[in-house]
Amino acid sequence: MTEKRFEICPAEEFDPGERRIATLDGFSVGIFNLDGEYYAMKNDCPHQRAPLCEGKLGGTTESDRPGEYDWVKPGQVVRCPWHGWEFDITSGESVFNPHKVKAKTFEARVESPADEAGATDGGCAECGVELKGDEPPVETYNTEIEEGTVVVYL
Amino acid sequence: MARDTQGTVTESRSESELTLVDADVHQRWADNEAIAQYLPDRYKDDGLVLPELLYRNPGEFLRQDEKTEDGNKPGSDLEKICDDHLDKHDIDYAMLTGNSWFNLAALPHRDYANELARAFNEWLVNDVLPVDDRFIGSMYVAPKAPEKAAELIREYGDHPQVRQVMLPGGAEVPYGRPQYWPMYEAAEEQNLAMAVHPFSEGHGTSNPPTGAGHPNSYIEWHTLLGSYYMGQLASIVTEGVLVEYPDLRWAFIEGGYGWLPHFMWRLDKNWKGLRSQVPWLKEKPSHYIRNNVWFASQPIEEPERPEHHDQILEMMHADEMLIYASDYPHWDGDDPDWGLPPMNDEMEQAIKHENAAELWDLPTDGSKLE
Repeated sequence: MTEKRFEICPAEEFDPGERRIATLDGFSVGIFNLDGEYYAMKNDCPHQRAPLCEGKLGGTTESDRPGEYDWVKPGQVVRCPWHGWEFDITSGESVFNPHKVKAKTFEARVESPADEAGATDGGCAECGVELKGDEPPVETYNTEIEEGTVVVYL
Repeated sequence: MARDTQGTVTESRSESELTLVDADVHQRWADNEAIAQYLPDRYKDDGLVLPELLYRNPGEFLRQDEKTEDGNKPGSDLEKICDDHLDKHDIDYAMLTGNSWFNLAALPHRDYANELARAFNEWLVNDVLPVDDRFIGSMYVAPKAPEKAAELIREYGDHPQVRQVMLPGGAEVPYGRPQYWPMYEAAEEQNLAMAVHPFSEGHGTSNPPTGAGHPNSYIEWHTLLGSYYMGQLASIVTEGVLVEYPDLRWAFIEGGYGWLPHFMWRLDKNWKGLRSQVPWLKEKPSHYIRNNVWFASQPIEEPERPEHHDQILEMMHADEMLIYASDYPHWDGDDPDWGLPPMNDEMEQAIKHENAAELWDLPTDGSKLE
C-alpha cells in the first residue's frame, strides 16, 4: 500500500513536549515531539472513540512493591480525556493491556529539503562538519533540523 | 409494537417523540462571582468556601478536549454544551446537575449552606435555564437545613424547567431519617424528583465514604460510590419515605446499577424474616424501588462478556428503572453514540428516553414544559 505523505509544520515551530492535532486524509491524528523525536497516533480511542490525543500528556507509574512508586516515561504517555486510559505515544500501546488495547500509530519524522530533493542537491547538510578545535563556535547549529519539516506518513 | 390505522406494523416501538434524554450534564460557572453575586450581604465577603475533594485524579476530572475557547473549565460555556453535546447527539432534554464540587452537605454551617443553595438556584433560573429550552435543571438544597430546604423547593420548584432537587450522595445521617421529610413533602407537592449524585462523600462533615473508613486513593473512592448509595437507598426504603410519599420519584445518579439485583434480592429476602421491624412496608421492599426510584446508567457497567450486561439489565428491571446519562464533560462519561452497548430496541428506547420522561414528567408529544 502506498503511503501518503503529509507535511505538518517546520520543525523549528514544533518544540519538544509539544503536540499538534491535524486532520490528515480525513483522520484526526495527534503528532508529538518527545525529546526531539516525532510520533504520530490516531486521535481516536479504541474504547469509546474519544479524541485520545487531546488528553493530559505526562508520565506514568511503575512499582516493585505496594506503597512504592517509580515515575517512568515522562512526557511519553497520553491519558484519554474520557476515562483516563493511558497510551504510550511511541507505540500506541495502552499501559494496562499493551498487546490487546492499542491505538493506531503512524510514521512521523523530520525531513530536510535535502532529503526531499536528494542528498546532494542543495541544503546545508555539510555545514559545521569541517570545524576544527575542541570548542565549536557559538554560531554553529544543525541546519538539518532548523530547515526540516515534520512529516507524517499514513 | 405500534400499529397505524391501517393495521400496519411500524418500526418505531415508542409512541414518544423523544429520542434521547441525558440524565447528567454538568454545567458550571467560569468565575465564583457568578454565584457569589446572589449571596446575602452577611456572606458577601465569604464568597464560596466549600470543602473540596481531597482525592486526586491523575488524568484530571474534566474532559481536556472540552475546554472552552478561552481555556476555561469544560462546562462553563453553556452554548458550547449545546453545540458540542446536545446538537451533536440530538438530545431532547439534558438534566443539568451542576457542579459536584459544591459540597453543601459537607459544610458545617447550616445557614451559610442554605444561602449558597439559594444563590446557586438564582444562578440556575436567571443565567442557565434561559439559555436553551432543552435544559432541565436540578435545584440545590442544604440537607442539614431541611425546613429551609423545603422553603427553597416551594420557591424555585414552580419554574417549568426545574424538574428535580439535588442531594449530595454523602451526608451526616442517612436520607431516610424523618428529619429530612419536610424536603420530601415539598418535592412531592411540587411534582419534583429528588436526586442523589456523588458529592460530599468523605469530605468536610460527611461520613467516611465507605463503611470500612476513608479510602486511600481516588480509584478506591470512585469504585465504592455504589456502597454509599446502597446505604442511602436502604435507609429511604426501610424508613418508609416511599410509603409516606408514594408519588415522590427518586433519581440515583452516577452510583452504578450492577449492584441492584443483589441489593433488591437481599432486601426482599431479609424482609421475609425481619418484616416486623418495618411493618409500614406493605409490599416487599423491591416493589417500592421499582415504582419510585430510577438509576442513571453512567458509569456503564463493563462486564467480562457482553451478554452479561443484558443479564444485569434483565435482573434489575432496567426497562422500568434505568435512564441514560453521559456525565458530560467529566472524565468518566459515557458517549451517547458509544457508551451504551447494543441491546434490544424496547430496552434501548426505555433507557434512552421513556424512563426519563416518567421520572421528570416530561412531555413526550413535543409540547412545551409546564
